[in-house]
Amino acid sequence: MVGVDVAFKVDKDLIIKICYFAKETPELSFDLLACMTCIDYVERLELVYNLFSFKHRYKVAIKTSLPRDGELESVTPIWKAANWHEREIAELFGMTFKNHPDPRPILLPEDWEGGFPMRRDWEGKDFVRLPKK
Amino acid sequence: MSDYPKNSHDIPLITTEQVGSEEFIVNMGPQHPSTHGVCRLLLKMDGEVIVEAVPIVGYLHRALEKIAENRTYLQFIPYTDRIDYVTAMICNHGFCMAVEKLAGIQVPERAEYIRVIMDELNRIASHLIWLGTFALDLGAITPFLYCFREREKILDLFEMTCGQRMTFNYMRVGGVSRDLPEQFIPLAKEFTEYFKPRVDEYEYLLTQNPIFLGRTKGVGILPQHTAIDYSVTGPNLRATGLKWDLRKEEPYSIYDRFEFEIPTGENSDTWDRYSVRIQEMRQANRIVEQAVKSIPEGEIKAKTPAVFKPPAGEAYVRIESSRGEMGFYIVSEGNTIPYRLKLRTASFSNLAVLPEIIRGWKIADLVAIFASLDVIMPDVDR
Repeated sequence: MVGVDVAFKVDKDLIIKICYFAKETPELSFDLLACMTCIDYVERLELVYNLFSFKHRYKVAIKTSLPRDGELESVTPIWKAANWHEREIAELFGMTFKNHPDPRPILLPEDWEGGFPMRRDWEGKDFVRLPKK
Repeated sequence: MSDYPKNSHDIPLITTEQVGSEEFIVNMGPQHPSTHGVCRLLLKMDGEVIVEAVPIVGYLHRALEKIAENRTYLQFIPYTDRIDYVTAMICNHGFCMAVEKLAGIQVPERAEYIRVIMDELNRIASHLIWLGTFALDLGAITPFLYCFREREKILDLFEMTCGQRMTFNYMRVGGVSRDLPEQFIPLAKEFTEYFKPRVDEYEYLLTQNPIFLGRTKGVGILPQHTAIDYSVTGPNLRATGLKWDLRKEEPYSIYDRFEFEIPTGENSDTWDRYSVRIQEMRQANRIVEQAVKSIPEGEIKAKTPAVFKPPAGEAYVRIESSRGEMGFYIVSEGNTIPYRLKLRTASFSNLAVLPEIIRGWKIADLVAIFASLDVIMPDVDR
């Protein structure tokens, strides 16, 4: 990946342990969760955690895959910044974060019933796709 | 008469335990003038003291990330203006830089200089809006007028360059869309000279003003570890004493060629956040001054193919916006359209920390603290 030192994939059941290790190990001390991204590859979702360490100036990206309706352990107990990011991802992609302290929707309207808009195959009333050439 | 209190400090406070009360919920916003946009706060109050605050966002959610999956790279540049319309140049720059890094495009030197000048002028303009509205929220009207007077001059410079005053659509992948007009450089030089004493003027009005100090000193302390835990970046993080600025620590574009300092705070209170931004304006002005002096002649845009397709891959590129770290995560599959674009905006994280700071402060302080965080709602909701 361009812009980070290392990017690697981990199993989804290990994500909480790896994140905890990345933050608490003094040689790593990834104290900043810079960004959290979810990418929909239709058959699976990929989550990317962009971490940064102020002490050592390391930048890593940790990736994990899970099925579309899957569950993943929340990393909010490790970085509080994950709270809103996870709420956003859960709402827009339709996955669930286990043990999330505040799993309310965040960005969409209160009465939203249009499904999960960031999925690739999402169809909406006014949504027109760019024609494929 | 001897028992009569001399000033308000001598009046004994009546606590809620004495009168007996219960907590109640106050709704603030989404159209409250001091929320600077459409942010809604649910406040659980104990008398005048805030027990808990819950920000409710999403009123400006325009699904820019979804739109990006349906536009070519070039078509998306005007949308980046709308992420954070107060610092549209920096958003333009960040997006173009992310695409350039992904595609391995080398930007010509003159274009880099133009970008830096635009970024820093925009940073000053953004901080001026912030300073004006911040002072206005605290009841000082004059700085607002002064700030907009200077911002007008910056907007004139932008207008003569790209024809727009707010949403510029100026930068392109590989450079900028058009060269600077002839009179830009002399006018920019004039502006840097003009602007220096203006900052002193704002400071004269505010920095030692007892009312302003009373409203900001020691108010709304954000400890450094909390700030990092919530991924707070930019001036809010620097106000906690951490010397962290991407322009210095991880120089992108040509920031390593300029001399400037990273101002930091000590107490991480509202006043420090004010002070950091005031000094940042001086430093940004310094960068513009140096860049305008040394700008070379040459190309303004690298050659890119008419049908632009970056290679397949992923990139996470970050830039120091006036509010903090702004990241662009691009997933490309080698098409003209990005497969996924994630916008990591500074305000999103900076607002998330508000409930932590606000606990235990009074509702009047909320206005000061909220304003000092410099959150802008389109940047939060995207």
